[in-house]
This record gives sequence, C-alpha cells and structure tokens, in this order.
Amino acid sequence: MIARWLCLLLPVSTSLIGGCGDHQSVLNPAGPEALQLTQLTWLLFGFGTVVLATVVLTVIGAVRGPQPVRTMLASTRMVVSAGIFFPALTLTGLLGYGIWLTRANFANPGEAGILRVVVTGEQWWWRVDYPQGGNGAFATANEIRLPVGRPILFELRSADVIHSFWVPNLAGKVDMIPGRITYARLHADRTGIFRGQCAEFCGGPHALMALEVIVMTQSDFDAWLQNQSRPAIDPQSTSAREGKALFLAAGCGACHAVRGTPASGTIGPDLTHLASRRSVGLDTATMSQASIARFISDGQHVKPGNRMPPFRIFAPDDLSAVAIYLAGLK
Amino acid sequence: MAAALFLLAWSGIYNVAASTGHWAVVDWFLAFGMRNSVDLRANAITAPVLDRPDLIRLGAAHFHGGCAFCHGAPGVPVSPIARQMLPSPPHLATSMRTWTDEELFWIVQHGIKYTGMPGWVALERADEIWAVVAFLKRLPVMDANSYRELALGRVEPASQSGEALATVDSNPQDASACARCHGAADSGPASALVPILHGQPEPFLIAALEEYAQGSRRSGIMQPLAADLGAHDLQRLAAYYAKLSPRRSDNSAHSSTNERGRRLATEGDPVNGIPACEPCHGRSGLARYPRLAGQNAAYMEAQLGLWAAGHHTSTAGGAIMGPIAQRLSEADIKAVSAYFAAQAPEQVGAKP
Repeated sequence: MIARWLCLLLPVSTSLIGGCGDHQSVLNPAGPEALQLTQLTWLLFGFGTVVLATVVLTVIGAVRGPQPVRTMLASTRMVVSAGIFFPALTLTGLLGYGIWLTRANFANPGEAGILRVVVTGEQWWWRVDYPQGGNGAFATANEIRLPVGRPILFELRSADVIHSFWVPNLAGKVDMIPGRITYARLHADRTGIFRGQCAEFCGGPHALMALEVIVMTQSDFDAWLQNQSRPAIDPQSTSAREGKALFLAAGCGACHAVRGTPASGTIGPDLTHLASRRSVGLDTATMSQASIARFISDGQHVKPGNRMPPFRIFAPDDLSAVAIYLAGLK
Repeated sequence: MAAALFLLAWSGIYNVAASTGHWAVVDWFLAFGMRNSVDLRANAITAPVLDRPDLIRLGAAHFHGGCAFCHGAPGVPVSPIARQMLPSPPHLATSMRTWTDEELFWIVQHGIKYTGMPGWVALERADEIWAVVAFLKRLPVMDANSYRELALGRVEPASQSGEALATVDSNPQDASACARCHGAADSGPASALVPILHGQPEPFLIAALEEYAQGSRRSGIMQPLAADLGAHDLQRLAAYYAKLSPRRSDNSAHSSTNERGRRLATEGDPVNGIPACEPCHGRSGLARYPRLAGQNAAYMEAQLGLWAAGHHTSTAGGAIMGPIAQRLSEADIKAVSAYFAAQAPEQVGAKP
C-alpha cells in the first residue's frame, strides 16, 4: 500500500528535480537570448506533443480502426505525404524559425558597447579574462561578473579537452574546442546569481567544474572592475606578511599569479583578488580562511583529481599564515 | 600423509637445530628447489646495462654495510656468527654459484625462504637492486685492495684509540657510513647516483632522514641506515652536511646549459602544466626544499624517473613532485637534470 502511494509521488518529485531552483534553470530566463530559447523550447515541445498524439491516434486507427480508415492509412499517398513531405516541411520550417529567432546570438565583435569576456575551459575550472578591465586586463576564475543590460561577447576557448559553456538562465550550450575559438553573445536583463556548468564530460572532477555568473548593476560592476584591475593589496598584519613570504618561498607563484608580487604563474587560477570570490574552487567550499587552508593541504579530497598537488609541507601555523594572507586578498 | 606430518611436528622428534645441519639429501633437495624457483621467477625480468662505474660503486658501498657481515668480501671474512646459520651463507667473492643477472636481481629483491637471506627493504626500488647486482658481477675478479677502494671510496676511517675501542659502543666503519657514499668535507659523493649533500638546507636534510627512518621515503639503502640513527644523531648529521661548502657535480659529461633545461627550470612549460623549478629549488625557496644547482644529473634523473613511475609520493615533498614529474617527458627529465648539474651551487643559511 505504502509503495503504491510512493509511486504516486514519483511524478511530483521528478517535476521538482526538473525545476532545480531558479538560479540554474532553462525555464526561468534572465535575458532576451535565453527567453528566445525558452520560447523555442515550448514551441517545439507543443508541436512535438501534437505530432506524438497524432502518431498514437494513427497507430490505434491502423490496428483497431474500421476498414476504410485502415485502407486510407495504408495508401501510398498517405505514406508519402505524412511520412516524407510533412516532416521535411515542418522540420525545415522550424529550423528556419529557430535560426531567425536566435539571429542576434551570432557574434558581432564590432557591436557598440559590447563587453568582451574570454572564458577558457581547463581541467577542471574556468579561467575568466577581462581584456578590457578598468585599468588594464585581469584574470579571475570560476566566477563571471556582468553588468545588467549590456551586450556581452563571450570568447570561448579550451586549454586541454572539449568543454561546454552552459549557463541555462542566460544562454544555450556552446562547446569549447581545443585550438578554436567559439562565441556566445548575450544580455542579462535582471540582476542575480546564475549557475553554470561544464556540459561536456571532460574527465575526473567534471561534475565539480561549475561557475557562477553574477549580474550586477552597471555602477556596482564598474566598482568591481576597478578593484579587480588593481594589483593585490599588501598584507597589513604580521601573520599575513609571514603568509606572503611563505607563499612565495613555497613556490606557489610557479603556478599562481598575484599581481604586484613576484608570483606570476599561469598554470592555475589568478589569486590577486581571491577573497573577493564567493567560493574556493566553485562547488567545493565557500570562501573562508579555513576553506583556503584545506584546499592547500588537502585539495585532493576537496576536489578529487584536480591538478594541484597537496602541500602538506607546512607546519600548522605556517599553513594558517598562508591562508590568512590569501583570505585578505579582497 | 598429512596426519603423519602432523604427528612428526607434534611429537617434537624432528630436530630444528641449526647446529646439526641437514642430511646431504635434504640439502640437495632444498638447493634443487631453490635453483628452479629462482630460475622460473627471473624469466620475466630484463637486466639494464650494468657495466657502469657509478652503479658498481653504489652497489659496492651498500654491500659493504648491508651484505658483507654474512657474505664476506675480498679481504673481509664471513662473520663467525653468520657462519653458524643454516644454510651457512656463501662467501660470495670466492664461492658464488653461477646466476644470471636477472636471477641475482630476483634473489636480492625477494630474499630466499628458509635461509637467512632477507628481501630488499624497498621492493619497488629496482634502481638500487640493480646497483647491487652490478657490483656482484664484479666481485669474483676483485682483490682486497680494489674492493676497499670501491666500497670505502676515498674515506679512510680514523683509527680509534685503545680507550675508544674499549669503551665506545660503535664500529669504526659505521662512523664513516655516510661519507662512504656521500663524501665529507674534502670529497664529494663516490657515485653520480648519490646526491651531493654539501650545503643543502638543514631542515630539508632533517626531513629526508626522518622520512627514511619512518619508511615513508622508500630506499633499501637509506632506510636501514636512517632507522639506526637517534633523533639527536640525525640532527647533528644534517647540521654537519648543511655547513659544508656546496660542491658542484664533477660529472661534466652529463651537465649542460641546454635551452630546454633552462626553460623548464626558470619558466616551466605552462601549456603542459609544468611549473618552473626555481621558485622552489632556487635560492629563495623554502629551506624545506632541496637546492638543485650543481647536483648530480644522474641522481636527479633517477629521482624524477621514480616519481614519473608513480613511486615516492607518500612524503610531503614527494606528493608535490609526483604529479609534476609525471608531466615531464623522458627528454625533459634529462634536459632539466643536465641544466641544474651545470649551475654553480650557492651556500644557503641553515634556517629559512
């Protein structure tokens, strides 16, 4: 009896999973391009439902129907018109409509006021470059900040294998292919935080390769841009200064850059303003001194398979000092 | 049959005394079984080039400390205590059976059941085991002088006073155990496969010795030696080598200031995920890291090769180097080792 009731719950729970909150959902568009895709989706879904219903009725007619109906369904004319011409015409029409509807998504780098953001998929994180920063180019990771209402041109690259850029609330999937550049053009028409994910299996921690798009007002965005393009702030406290010295001596700068210090590595994420981000290695831990320390000494348990070796060489006090330094890089 | 064997063991009639020896037929049977067992298992092994002086010297130095007590050496008799084992260990310089290189490797690696022959402390360190085999191949044609020169190198153990001999609980040969391979104030390592410790940072040397002593860093040569050291000895030894003035590898054939090596050392290869070596191993790196300028190229190649093969990663330092070495090609390993060997070493402070 209980099992039967649970079965009844199944469709309800499945539809809830489909919703998945509103910050990662194709059904809750946050920009005109995503809205077009949603409209196209509903149109295809509706049309597909009509076709499916017709097919089911036809099958019933062909098996159980009176002789005249069965004869009509078996005629060559019926097979050619409904089996060849109908799909050819409707699919061509839908394709044309889809291309026309999403025509604005084709990138035009010369478009007035467009903001260029370069996103590189790497195993297993997102490198985000702003070539036209407030005072010069800068890089961040796993987090993209955008001003509301402005056209954005995403230049998508891959450093290793095929990844796919997908922020469901803002746009459809676009593959990132090694050796090529692909583009996505979009707007966000309301502020908010939207989650994106790599949508092409890219190895071990693929499932943890997520990103966040934070859409801000133009003035908030400008302030953020100004701050990000500045070099890192110099540590004030004694422990943070010790942490900086340890960070440099331990060789962290061979992979990570902190602008304004000798650390200029490009293998891992830029840490110049690490603490201004909302998380450490998105989806693995929220931003805090403890999360940073854990990622340094035990990153393979936080994000299994990531490319950073565990740094267990630090004594506990030294590890906290490095984490204090990094947690101060706002 | 099984019940009869059980009764035999239960009754205590069978004499397990080593002093009485085996009957000739049992002796023959055991040797026959051993020979065939080793022969079968050595089939899967292929020997590398063994005729390399560096390999032979390293093997000789280990043999002197680890094997000569039971197996003797030219000019060194088998210890009377070892001679009372059953079977009595053969004096290898005069009466070694004819084994192939591969069979010797298998025996040194695994040891032999029902004899006193132990297996190698770090089974995965084939590089070390081959050094012993390389030396064993030379043993039959060696006299006492050439053995002494090879195994003790340039180190002459100071003769101790009668009082020291009478009261200090140590063997004068142990006192020179480090220097036999690593050299001392006025000499470098005996073999290019042995690291130069002169002037390395003290915290690095202490950590390495502790890792060997605990067995987290694996080596059939270093683990037994480090395990014998007390915490205090270990620190004094580290301090001694840290204070010696740095030496440069005298094996110039393997060092060169090649471009690929220079790029890897100073810039890395970001496209392939390889960070530069210098931020850690250059002059400003943590004292917990070794300095590489002037180090023996053959030693660095061997260590990088171990990491690349997935060994050696259970120490804190190895956990960092393992993933990096696995991104290096064989040519990269040669190039970067040659580059560092050609650099002039610098003295570093004892503390960071």
